Amino acid sequence: MFKKNIGIKISTIILVSLFSLQAFAQAWTIPAELKAKTSYIPFTSSTSKEGEDTYTKNCMSCHGNPGKGNSMKALNPIPPDLAGKVTQQRTDGDLFYIITTGRGVMPSFKDVFPEQERWKLISYIRSFNRQYVQVLSTFNPQKAKLVKFDITYNAVNHLVRVAVKATEKTGMVVLKNDSVDIYAKRYFGRLQFDNGMITDKDGIAYFKFPTDLPGDKAGNVEVIARVTDDNYGEVTYQTRMKIGVPTDKPGLTEQRAIWNVVSKSPIWLVVVFTSGILFLGLFLLYIGFSLWKIRKIGTL
Amino acid sequence: MSEQEEKPKKKTRREFLQELGYVGVGALIGGSAIFAGVNYDKRKKQVDRIKVLTAENELIEIDKNGVTKVVKSKKEILTYLQKEGREGIPGKRWVMVLDLSKCKNAQRCMAACQSSHHLRPEQSHINTLKMQESINTPPYYLPKQCQHCDNPPCVAVCPVDATYKRPDGIVLIDNERCIGCRFCIAACPYSARTLNWTKPLHDDEDKDKTYNVELNVPQRKGTITKCLFSADRLRDGKLPYCVSACPNGVFYFGDENEDAVTNGTTKVTVRFKKLLADNGGYQLMPELGTKPRIYYLPPKGKTYPFQEKDKALLDKELE
Repeated sequence: MFKKNIGIKISTIILVSLFSLQAFAQAWTIPAELKAKTSYIPFTSSTSKEGEDTYTKNCMSCHGNPGKGNSMKALNPIPPDLAGKVTQQRTDGDLFYIITTGRGVMPSFKDVFPEQERWKLISYIRSFNRQYVQVLSTFNPQKAKLVKFDITYNAVNHLVRVAVKATEKTGMVVLKNDSVDIYAKRYFGRLQFDNGMITDKDGIAYFKFPTDLPGDKAGNVEVIARVTDDNYGEVTYQTRMKIGVPTDKPGLTEQRAIWNVVSKSPIWLVVVFTSGILFLGLFLLYIGFSLWKIRKIGTL
Repeated sequence: MSEQEEKPKKKTRREFLQELGYVGVGALIGGSAIFAGVNYDKRKKQVDRIKVLTAENELIEIDKNGVTKVVKSKKEILTYLQKEGREGIPGKRWVMVLDLSKCKNAQRCMAACQSSHHLRPEQSHINTLKMQESINTPPYYLPKQCQHCDNPPCVAVCPVDATYKRPDGIVLIDNERCIGCRFCIAACPYSARTLNWTKPLHDDEDKDKTYNVELNVPQRKGTITKCLFSADRLRDGKLPYCVSACPNGVFYFGDENEDAVTNGTTKVTVRFKKLLADNGGYQLMPELGTKPRIYYLPPKGKTYPFQEKDKALLDKELE
């Protein structure tokens, strides 16, 4: 009994030290200004509910149910239980940074969820912490509506020019030194092309567009641009541009092949098979006819 | 006296105009009230009317009260689902890419697949195989399902046109036609098909459900079942069950025509051909000429250990 206890104690000590070692290895380096970032969305039960939906679909497979300690132990490092102390001691900005950038086994969700959805996820995580008091950001999300995009394509050098401006009451404000990403819409998600860029002093960024990206029948591609600005937040804009390669491939059953129906089978097969049957039939008829002739001769 | 009596009857010009004014105002108020009433009625009628697109593609307006909902019979729904299931999604050519360097045998794909298609625990549309070619080569896991061949041997042998190839690349089975002859099981080089030998898992609960070709639910005893590329999910723009369930980022799924595949775990979309070119993508048994729609990325640079119990099993096999 005593020995067993010691065994448990030792293994606990080893486990704890292992975890703390892992915690050292895991330390995230988060820039101070991002650490202090707070949500402009007030965390309510409804945002938490929306966050839960996202969590169930995208996070639960690794992190398990918060508070249940059933995260996926096979991964290295083990995904933390998000209701646990380690996660809850982080600032909102920390969590936002971790979800946004990811690292190692933790994927980046920058291109998966818009900013709002990421905050709602944090709202859900915070709902497990009773001591948590939210500090709201003074950011006004309505300002995002003032941002205007102008996207043009230069067919000669294959450059997409994205100009971002905001129409304030005082006049046009150019969004300079902001990160801009550009994507092509695909059936299941967004395909980023070129790397993220920073707008220059005129609020303009250039992106190299691949010359071989398939579009629809007419070559149209839904282009999505996204800018992240401190004053205006994360703004996305979608437009249809004729910059893809026109693609109209036939269905995979158009060609005749050895399918299980005659209407789809190759012509040569139909011809060979039909003529074979016809030949066999005629041959049998010929034998019959010959036998009839022999019989006729015999009865003479 | 008579003069006094007659006096009030006789109206002065002022009185006449005054009364005329009353009548005029009254008429105006009354008229506008009637006008408003008629207008209100009209508006109410507009609300009560709904626009309907007829089968001849003509837009008509009908009274809301006169509408009767068409209740489709089970057979009509079945016919519709069968037709839809044969046509597929136009303009698409689905492809799947599996990154073997990421598979850790979590078997979440198997669980998600089995629960969505109502399969028994011993039945699987997708299976994680433990692979090792020789003693000196490293072991790895290989999730394997129907390869949705462009030249499917199973379709060629079906005597009743139950299993078929769709224009968007998916090979499906119509269990309303399947006679359970198992020719397709014999023809498939990937062992992707199974027969429902016994009573299916949720047979009693599914009894009243209409058979959906794209989900293969309800499963039916004596018919074939296999991977369907989650054709029902693709219709809603969602990734297949197994792809979304994988916690390790093994699966990529997308449209070859769009040259893009999306990872089910990270949801990151990448170029399909570039992914194959950069990582040395290959297919299973391409020498058979089956032209599979599933591609594999070799298990290069695995960051996880092969599970011990599986290793022992493989060592025994290889001796």
